Amino acid sequence: MNPATIADRIEAHIDQLIESWTLAVRSDPRIESDDNLSLPELIDHVPAIIEEICTLIRSGETPGVKNSHEARVNVYTRFHQGYKGRDLIRELSLLRITLLDDLMEISSNQTFGITAQDRHDAATILNLYLDEEMRYAISIYSNPPNGSQRPSIDSD
Amino acid sequence: MISQEEFDRFVKDYNEDYILLLTRASRRHYDCLITSFMVLKDFYNLVQMLFDSGHYVYGVVPYPYSFRADSVLLKMLGFDDQEVENIFGFLDHVRETQGMEFEACLEAGTVAMCARPN
Repeated sequence: MNPATIADRIEAHIDQLIESWTLAVRSDPRIESDDNLSLPELIDHVPAIIEEICTLIRSGETPGVKNSHEARVNVYTRFHQGYKGRDLIRELSLLRITLLDDLMEISSNQTFGITAQDRHDAATILNLYLDEEMRYAISIYSNPPNGSQRPSIDSD
Repeated sequence: MISQEEFDRFVKDYNEDYILLLTRASRRHYDCLITSFMVLKDFYNLVQMLFDSGHYVYGVVPYPYSFRADSVLLKMLGFDDQEVENIFGFLDHVRETQGMEFEACLEAGTVAMCARPN
């Protein structure tokens, strides 16, 4: 029940989470690859990522190769948008902070009855999911496909 | 263990099949498409599991399996506005004929085989 409450609460304000995250990415001077992206291109698959994380929180599943499809879409599109690997990692780091902050806020509301264990379990799934995406991103960026013109992990 | 060349062929076959199924959806050829996507999902998972073993590299990155609400990705793959609309129409078609979302349908497996008109 409580994992579902956490997932429902997160999904209930995805738009605000995306807005906070977008602001964090746009104002981070260490991320350069977003300069040429429109807002829809920047947001792109992030809502689907949050929804997939919520699905895993609800079911209590451990993120892995077979249930992190949206994460892989994000890596694919960023890679082909010419994003630098380090910028993608920073962007995901900001998403992690945004979601963990939100989780803390939700769990501190006593009316939801969320225990420390519930919060810990949800945070673990969230972290493992984003780690899974980073792992995939590092695999792709460190061994770019033949003939690829994409940047490597740090092309500065 | 399969060779790198065989793995490359798997990825190439997967990519071709993925585009083929999306192309069918983009032309509103929705019949039995769910079943085809189910099979392709297994193939995609196989490719990802093999890659995750660390024994192979991608000569070409496989197309990501999901296309949920992602017009950026679909346009990147070469589909125009009308075709993207038709692909999203397939998601509506699944919802109407199966009574569940496309992703839920894939999870449900063979229960949701070819749509049968009422």
